[in-house]
Amino acid sequence: MTAIDSTASPARRLEWQQAEVREIVTETFRVKSLLLRVASWPGHFPGQHVDIRLTAEDGYQAQRSYSIASPPEDELLAVTVERVENGEVSPYLVGELRIGDRFELRGPIGGYFVWTVPTGGPLCLIAGGSGMAPLMAMLRHRDRQKAHIPGSVLYSSRSLEDVIYRNELDGMAQCDSNLRVIYTLTRKQPEEWLGPRRRIDKALLAEVCYPPDKNPKIFVCGPTSLVEEVARMLVELGHEPQTIKTERFGPTGA
Amino acid sequence: MSEPPISRGFRSRRQEQTPKNRLPPGQYVTTDFPVLSAGPTPQIKVENWTFTLQLGGAILGTWNWAEFETLPQTTIKTDIHCVTKWSKLDTAWQGVTFDDLLKAVGLSEPPAPYIMAHCDGGYTTNVPPADLVGGQGMIATRYEGLPILPMHGGPARLLVPHLYFWKSAKWVRRLRFMEKDERGFWESLGYHNYGDPWKEQRYDGD
Amino acid sequence: MTETENGSDLVLDGNAAAGLLQEIFVSDITSARIQCGACGSIAAVGSLRLYAAQMGAVLRCVHCDGVVMRAVHTSHDRWLEMTGARSLRFGRL
Repeated sequence: MTAIDSTASPARRLEWQQAEVREIVTETFRVKSLLLRVASWPGHFPGQHVDIRLTAEDGYQAQRSYSIASPPEDELLAVTVERVENGEVSPYLVGELRIGDRFELRGPIGGYFVWTVPTGGPLCLIAGGSGMAPLMAMLRHRDRQKAHIPGSVLYSSRSLEDVIYRNELDGMAQCDSNLRVIYTLTRKQPEEWLGPRRRIDKALLAEVCYPPDKNPKIFVCGPTSLVEEVARMLVELGHEPQTIKTERFGPTGA
Repeated sequence: MSEPPISRGFRSRRQEQTPKNRLPPGQYVTTDFPVLSAGPTPQIKVENWTFTLQLGGAILGTWNWAEFETLPQTTIKTDIHCVTKWSKLDTAWQGVTFDDLLKAVGLSEPPAPYIMAHCDGGYTTNVPPADLVGGQGMIATRYEGLPILPMHGGPARLLVPHLYFWKSAKWVRRLRFMEKDERGFWESLGYHNYGDPWKEQRYDGD
Repeated sequence: MTETENGSDLVLDGNAAAGLLQEIFVSDITSARIQCGACGSIAAVGSLRLYAAQMGAVLRCVHCDGVVMRAVHTSHDRWLEMTGARSLRFGRL
């Protein structure tokens, strides 16, 4: 898959197609990434999502949306799934699915919560829990393009064990002086933890996010309550509402 | 269009041991109580709550909370069926039946053939009074013996369990009798006007 | 995005309705700017609050909670209602 023209927005019907599981990556004890081969994949923008549909033998169907965590440059499509307690679909995707299994998928979907290198920066990414997934697609795209657009990531998780993609994020930050990654751990922290130990507040946002006069491109993704709180605080810090793009995931997460 | 592929090993977790005749077609039993709302949960104070029966421009009867609580109370145990395919069996509700509301305003039968239920938050649903009389419908104020939680429609909701549960309007405040049928919130957007789960009348045209 | 488990009502946003809306509009409208008919405020469709996702989509204004757009995918067809919107504007900002 090659890099895409970010101004292209083709009008086309969303069709269900088949995805085959090629690899399964355990991210945390609750989270796995599924690497999928999708035969007629048209390409995607970082931030978009897919709908996945499962059909049981009795015909019962369940459909869910998942953000694409892989960049358009990668060959396989990655979706990161968090196993939700008493869930219907996620325990299947995280617990039962095997390499070679297939399911229906349609996408890519969404043009609002999208960032590509040509859009420019500086880039400010704020995530809660599994909300990191679409932001990871953006960061991986930035990395594949070797674009050193200044970026700042604030990632809120319950504990260090819950941080998804941690090694990869640390690796990116280490190799790129233009990228800063800050984790805040809200419920449990290792003793030697020197980072923030609280839910995202205005002080953290002021510290991590570029000031309004730098005109950062801001993306916030995670549980609904976190997203709405953070967006409100960013506006209070002087950011224009239309520079803040949000995606609400629902109640799970940090 | 070809059949969708079966997802190996995926089973509906909602399958449980249920006597076949309890479940309408296409439904699955759930033990939790999913919340589905078309808008934010209104925070209603019972001190400000009133319930009204209306016919044209006339108010047939109106009660505040204290008054409503003195009306005859009925308790029922029933199954409920949501159009999104979950069903919940043996749910216990308490409230004032539609029959007792009519009696309270001195009517022996409904004064018009159609009703629109109006709710806090703006939700509406239409239901024929013929489907509310004879104990088929009530204004419920208790679920499992306790006040109905706001997210489940409290302080009071319409309860018409023999129809899909979108007809059991949450946060109901007024029943308006109508001479001609009008479609409510979901009925005007593709959902079935009547909604009989046993005939699987989910959508307009079913 | 994670799933809405147990059919629970979770306030999501227009991004979660994008698939349904694209069935109707054929192109993605989450970036389109919609003006609320009730209060006049303008927002991207993707940023609107989404309710009742299990039955369709009820998109509400973030400022006044007014219903801006509703959509349903039935077993026969697709419905769209936008009386709560003054305008819908496509194209790049």
